[in-house]
Amino acid sequence: MVQRSPLHEIHKGLGAKFTEFAGFEMPIQYSSIKDEHLTVRKKVGLFDVSHMSNVWITGIDAEKLISLATVEDASRIGNGKSQYTEILREDGTIIDDTIFMHLDDKYMMIPNAGMASTATDWLNEKAEEYNLCAKAENFSKDYVILAIQGPKSRDTLQKLTDFDIGTVKFFGCQYIDIADTDCIISHTGYTGELGFELQITPSKTAKDVFDKILEAGKEFGIKPIGLGARDTLRLEKCFILAGNEFESGRTPLEALLGWTVNWDHDFIGKKAILKQKEKGDFQRLTYLECIEKGIPRHGCKVKKDGKDVGIVSSGTLSPCLNKGIAMAYVHPDFREKDSTLDILIRNNPVKAKIVKPPFVKKDWAEEN
Amino acid sequence: MVEEVRDDLKYTESHEWLKVEGKKAKVGITDHAQSELTDIVFVELPAVGKEIKKGEELCIVESVKSVSEIYSPVSGKILEVNKKLEDAPEMINQNPYDDGWLIEMEIEDKNEIDKLLDPESYRKSI
Repeated sequence: MVQRSPLHEIHKGLGAKFTEFAGFEMPIQYSSIKDEHLTVRKKVGLFDVSHMSNVWITGIDAEKLISLATVEDASRIGNGKSQYTEILREDGTIIDDTIFMHLDDKYMMIPNAGMASTATDWLNEKAEEYNLCAKAENFSKDYVILAIQGPKSRDTLQKLTDFDIGTVKFFGCQYIDIADTDCIISHTGYTGELGFELQITPSKTAKDVFDKILEAGKEFGIKPIGLGARDTLRLEKCFILAGNEFESGRTPLEALLGWTVNWDHDFIGKKAILKQKEKGDFQRLTYLECIEKGIPRHGCKVKKDGKDVGIVSSGTLSPCLNKGIAMAYVHPDFREKDSTLDILIRNNPVKAKIVKPPFVKKDWAEEN
Repeated sequence: MVEEVRDDLKYTESHEWLKVEGKKAKVGITDHAQSELTDIVFVELPAVGKEIKKGEELCIVESVKSVSEIYSPVSGKILEVNKKLEDAPEMINQNPYDDGWLIEMEIEDKNEIDKLLDPESYRKSI
């Protein structure tokens, strides 16, 4: 059965077009992807991302369980802090990438859409296997998740609370009252802009919050944003997407997430990725900007002098740059910055240059 | 939003339109199609002179998120392509029946035109 957000009727009323994503019917766009994309880069946008999962991890060994099951050493992450990390299989490949929030004596983990049971079951299996007194519980159905993203996101939310939102640090999280509703706020997002995410329960109270945020943001030009723009926004900033970047068993090193790995502690998958690191001969995520016309898509082959050297994991037309951009897994010998590769689009080679991430730099909105 | 269906055109179930002018015809996509696609950002046009059969892939229209194949409503030879779309694909969104035309072709068999949808039937189908 296809699941819907508790805000489905509101989206319909706002003229949303819907798409199915990981078992959820969610808005793909309201006005147009380009328009929504630029609204987030220049002003502020409101996303319903309730398709993402909510898993509470509790028990005296909750911290140990997270340290074991992710590449992060959770003892480093103090109360009121969030952390981006990955859950690995024993062979080092990514099961899911996720954020966990340390909230007093427990943790809330946000696995990807459709990953709630997989992550919950995996965590509970590992707790049992390693004799840890910790429990993971799937509460995804009880929560609505809203993301408020863009340069005016803080100003918008500030109108709805007496609490000084300026004190919530980047990757900070805490309980807060916004629009007369208890929420968990975190200074996180998937757009590369100033932004916040709210976890709201019971989910029925979220309709009111959604409406009040749209009202508060009116003076800043706020718009509701669908999954279409969410995808182009993250791709311009080189953030990976489950399903695209690790659908067929990629490791954090291949996905260029080595910086998230805390090597000083033991975790599931560590041996495998250490071995891979020593060998070094693996494909790595590479960022390609088209210098000829064409839009790369997931699955396009990447070639050098007619020889296969990689594959596109995500591609789109960048609404900010008006050029084709792609993330591709490329053989280590062909990843030199500024060198060119061919992306095969409907059998036509389209020239693309290897660039440094992100495709769209931090000051883009000011310069445009 | 009311989607325009013009009375002087013929239509396909896959949302192409055909404007017959003697032995020649212009082809484009309907207002409904452009509205569904939104934000057309790339068009790949066929080569002039190419012979194409009814129902075969005529060209590719890409939006930010999707790649759509456009099919030829009738058989014939490509006489001209709308080169302006290469630099301004958004013309299809703005004006799907005029500036946003895709190709002009020479019609091989006029009988094929009768099998296309008239404006009333197309209106009902969308």
